[in-house]
Amino acid sequence: MGPMARSIWSGAISFGLVNVPVKVFTAVRKKDVRFHQLHGKDGARIQQKRWCPADEKEVAYEEIVKGYEISPNQYVVIEPEELEALDPEATHTIDIEDFVDLDQIDPLFFDSNYYLVPDGKGDKAYRLLLEAMRDAGKVGIAKVVMRTKQYLVAVRPVEEALVMTTMNFADEVVAQDELESLPGSKADASERELKMAEQLIGSLATEWDPAKYRDTYRERVLDLIEKKAEGQEIVTQPEAERPAPVIDLMAALEASLAAAKGAPADDEEKAPAKKARKSTKAS
Amino acid sequence: MTTVSVEGRALALSNLDKVMYPATGFTKGQVIDYYRAIAPALLTHLAGRPLTLKRYPNGVDDKFFYEKRCPSHRPSWMRTCEIWSDRNKGIVNYCVVDDLASLVWVANMASLELHPSLSRCDDMPHPSTVAFDLDPGPPADAVDCARVALRLRDLFEQMGLQSFAKTSGSKGIQVYVPLNSGQADYESAAGTKPFSRAVAQLFEQQFPDEIVSSQKKDVRGGKVLIDWSQNDGYKTTVSVYSLRARERPWVSTPVTWDEVDDIASSGDVERSRFEAGDVVQRVQRLGDLFEPVATLQQQLPKLQ
Repeated sequence: MGPMARSIWSGAISFGLVNVPVKVFTAVRKKDVRFHQLHGKDGARIQQKRWCPADEKEVAYEEIVKGYEISPNQYVVIEPEELEALDPEATHTIDIEDFVDLDQIDPLFFDSNYYLVPDGKGDKAYRLLLEAMRDAGKVGIAKVVMRTKQYLVAVRPVEEALVMTTMNFADEVVAQDELESLPGSKADASERELKMAEQLIGSLATEWDPAKYRDTYRERVLDLIEKKAEGQEIVTQPEAERPAPVIDLMAALEASLAAAKGAPADDEEKAPAKKARKSTKAS
Repeated sequence: MTTVSVEGRALALSNLDKVMYPATGFTKGQVIDYYRAIAPALLTHLAGRPLTLKRYPNGVDDKFFYEKRCPSHRPSWMRTCEIWSDRNKGIVNYCVVDDLASLVWVANMASLELHPSLSRCDDMPHPSTVAFDLDPGPPADAVDCARVALRLRDLFEQMGLQSFAKTSGSKGIQVYVPLNSGQADYESAAGTKPFSRAVAQLFEQQFPDEIVSSQKKDVRGGKVLIDWSQNDGYKTTVSVYSLRARERPWVSTPVTWDEVDDIASSGDVERSRFEAGDVVQRVQRLGDLFEPVATLQQQLPKLQ
């Protein structure tokens, strides 16, 4: 078993007068092989700095504001409070507005997938909703606010769980008329060619079995990494710098003054001599 | 015009008899000769750093100017480094004095004072040292600075840091804490500026009658300013072994802590003054007391 999933949101599915309390878990864990950036010369991890080219300085997060480029090099600065004022109200509900047939939604509209799991005493209502949707063959279309963003989502039964899929808004899907070289119907094939192609498709048709497909590229990359690691062809991190000791400045000063007590520089007897010297000065 | 060959490079030197320090008759020829003689020690501290020249074409009593851009009439072999300047909204090409020929060329332009950056060209974001410039507000003087310098040394000792002192060659004393670790920057919370400011402000709080941490002239009378503000990517500080444009050819001279103690306890301000000739002899006798400032690797502690 992998690591326990942690919920990223909790709230309730709401439709009509029914409320089903749920928690949200990520349904997909990406398995891309992640590489880090190292300095080729010494193998040190590359750090990113927020660099201001005008000041030639690293900039603290607190000094950063959001700017929207309205025309080249012209920015409107938006304060965090101004954005907060526009934040959609976090209602903590997944408000189902419509039920539609799943096959009416083209997969183009689907974005990220989350599991909905009953939270607290919602088991019975959750199961009821799941079975009713399965029997009706319908998908709930809902709106939900997660963090500060409003999402359009589809809620549907998948085996024994409800899955929530965030959806692209219609105006986010690239319209096909923006694709210049789509041939359209003027390039229609002949009846005979169509038949042959259909036959070919038919001969390859099978049941959808997701386990059948593997990311062979990732497997080869992992294989390479393993071989290199075994062969000791590893770039080791240069010895980490000792973390800076934390000191209390005042305590250090007190300790230094105590240590210096009686030393000539702080000798009380020297003070009068020094004053006398000064009074004779012509400055 | 005198043409000399320095390490195989021909240099035309001009106005060698021109008096730069009228009070003593110290000429430009003597300035060049001083820099030539001190070069083995001085070059260690100038090498690889953008250098600002403080030029006195007609001697210390006349006009001077700071030259950041390495003059375009420089010899082809003169090394430079390009640094973005916020103020000039562009690249400034600084002179880099890495060898004797470059040093003599720079000295010939009556660059009495040499002010290098606290950073090296190849790592401008990270200063190689923290500098504390102790500047006395009259009637305070170098003796008062020496007392403050000793306290700074003791504080740094408590932090496990070695520090090194030099006279400013003018009125004060400077304390350097070498870093050379490429870790601390100038401005961030763990940088040299907040660190030096915190140290200066703590001393001001603890010794309000003797020490100030602010540049404002009105509060400085009789007190020592711990000037922390030179710990800034845009600023430069007078180099160790640089001449100063004062009435006499005084030099910013590295001194041992025993000598600082001696200045403080004797109350003799003259013991903080070294002229060009003294300094060449000192280096022959004592070596480069500031050498660790260029090499010692230390890490700034985080302040609580």
